[in-house]
Amino acid sequence: MNKLLLIIQREYVQMVCKKSFIITTLLVPVLSIVLCIVLPVMLAEVKSEEKKNVAVVDQNPDAPYARLLADTDDFHFVGVTDANEEDASEFDAFSVYEAEKNNQEIYALVVIPNRFADNPTYNIYSEKSVNGNLERSVTNSLQDAVRAQRIESYGIDSLENIINYCNPHIQSTNIKWSDSGEESLSSADLSMILGFVLSMLTYMFVIIYGAMIMNSVVEEKTNRIVEVIVSTCKPMQLMMGKIVGVALVGLTQLFIWGLLIGIIGTIFGVSALAARPELAQAATDPAVAQTMQELQSNSEMSKIVQMILSVNYMQIFVCFILYFIGGYLLYASLFAAFGSAVDQASDASQFTAPIMMIMIFALYAGMFCMNNPDGPLAFWCSMIPFTSPVVMMIRLPYDLPWYELAGSLALLFATAFGIIWLSSRIYRTGILMYGRKFSLKEIFRWIRNS
Amino acid sequence: MYIEVKDVCKQYSGHVAVDHVSLSVPDGCIYGLLGPNGAGKTSLIRIINRITHADSGEVLLHGRPMTDDDVRSIGYMPEERGLYKKMKVGDQILYLAQLRGMKRKDAEQAMNVWLERFELTEWKNKKLEQLSKGMAQKVQFIATVIHRPPLLIFDEPFSGFDPVNADILKKEILRLRDEGAAILFSTHNMSSVEEICENITLINHAKVVLQGRVSDIRQQFKKNILEVNTADGQAFNYTLQNGETMHDAIARLNKEYQLTGFREILPSMHEVFVESVKSSNYE
Repeated sequence: MNKLLLIIQREYVQMVCKKSFIITTLLVPVLSIVLCIVLPVMLAEVKSEEKKNVAVVDQNPDAPYARLLADTDDFHFVGVTDANEEDASEFDAFSVYEAEKNNQEIYALVVIPNRFADNPTYNIYSEKSVNGNLERSVTNSLQDAVRAQRIESYGIDSLENIINYCNPHIQSTNIKWSDSGEESLSSADLSMILGFVLSMLTYMFVIIYGAMIMNSVVEEKTNRIVEVIVSTCKPMQLMMGKIVGVALVGLTQLFIWGLLIGIIGTIFGVSALAARPELAQAATDPAVAQTMQELQSNSEMSKIVQMILSVNYMQIFVCFILYFIGGYLLYASLFAAFGSAVDQASDASQFTAPIMMIMIFALYAGMFCMNNPDGPLAFWCSMIPFTSPVVMMIRLPYDLPWYELAGSLALLFATAFGIIWLSSRIYRTGILMYGRKFSLKEIFRWIRNS
Repeated sequence: MYIEVKDVCKQYSGHVAVDHVSLSVPDGCIYGLLGPNGAGKTSLIRIINRITHADSGEVLLHGRPMTDDDVRSIGYMPEERGLYKKMKVGDQILYLAQLRGMKRKDAEQAMNVWLERFELTEWKNKKLEQLSKGMAQKVQFIATVIHRPPLLIFDEPFSGFDPVNADILKKEILRLRDEGAAILFSTHNMSSVEEICENITLINHAKVVLQGRVSDIRQQFKKNILEVNTADGQAFNYTLQNGETMHDAIARLNKEYQLTGFREILPSMHEVFVESVKSSNYE
């Protein structure tokens, strides 16, 4: 068997059979589903066991506001009449609170002062700091009430409608021309989300698997097995075997994650349907099917569908894979070279810190470019090979001129192969050097001399 | 001659590691490469293995320059032993055997024979980290010799072995020699040199200071001392006087004492080593 294949195979099998790999591969999708779906659903289901009592004192004549406060999931409003109704200036909130507390458990006291419509400020008294939900629900109710009251006070027919009409809700539709002038809908938001997800994916992959390569190089070096291996094959073969092997491990992991999330998602969907048969029935119900069809022909719905379809997925996918491979090769070979120059993984930080800095810069530059995907920062960062794999992901969903794409890819791959060549020279000297920390200067000498 | 090293030099950033070293190892011979720490043995071995390249000079295999493909036919056991700790013993041996160009099936067969020989069969599916140091050394030895290399290079093969296992290992090395392998063998252990090496090269400060057959070298360094036993149970050493032959000395001694035995004392390789390293340090 070809030596390179043999090395790739070993790296792959060893990593994939590791307990830690199996555990993270299986656990991450389960955990992420639990954290993102199951937990929020369960938390939403959990209601506080009993509603908290909130006493309300409405000092307006006939207490119109206290009646408007409807109970929520968390709060039960209790109207309380003020003993000293005659003279509001002698009102003492604390004594009212104390008096009411003898009757029942009271969480807070809401006091709505007289002539609230003119001066809409109310107080919430409590012993503990008050839950934000209470303030929000009381404020909303009072806001609607006062607004209705004020509109009514003008005595103009259908003033409510007039005011609503005067508050326009303005929307925009983005229409993209193709070369022949054909129109299609596009969405800036969708492009942004897609770009962000892709660039995060590239970033995470490079960092996680780059570190994995470095550790594997350091391990071979500290085990001294490297001396036996390089007496049977070229150091370049060993390095490339490692880089390709680890990449395959990463792709396997991504693939399994995708698959597991798909399966678990389906299971959840099916079990949700099983739990509520009426949902399943509804889906097959011809009436519902008709409504769905109507919805689709409905302009709003078809716009969204058209937007989703307007993104050129094939191009994005191909470019993503190319940038992904280029960026990975570039950084992975650097990690391998730096791993070969140290005796322990912990010594490698002096070399990995600059790599990390560049990667983080690329991520931030990418986020910044979301606002201006055609600006100079976006252009240059998507040309420079060290940042282009991350930044270009952000720009991809916005159609780019092909020559920019081609130029950036050519630069990326040329640099990646250059770095692989340099790294292999560092690597083949570094793996046989023990016992000392090497400075960058010495490493440059290895490149020159080897 | 199986392998010939001709006038090889190597420098590392201003420091000379190998300085005009030549040696040749014939088939079926165990050749000792001796020298104090840092003398340049490992550097020379790495050049023979083509892990690094010589600045000048050449390495010949059967009289022609060595190529990268020839390296496969070398079995190399470095001084700092190394195997993958997390890999199973069997997988590890097979991987290294395949890297050296063996077919998987052949490798498996050969491996089973060797594991049997070293009583390691039941450890085949254990991870290396579960083995004792001695067992791991044996695994390393198997990985080195499994592809029946015509040239074997051992760097300190006996370090880390207890006397029983060292004997087993010695027996196997001698057997490999009898099967025709050329063995280059670097060590500090001088008694093993006396026992199994035919020829040696002693390197100090990157230069060859002593080279030749072990028996010739010991003759060359002998101090003309006789160990004499007499009938009344005495035993003493007698140093030959200037110009005196052994025959004359024995005749004279036999007149004074009643001799029951005598033998010429040859210096041990240990003494040879120490003496020649010291004298070359003063040069």
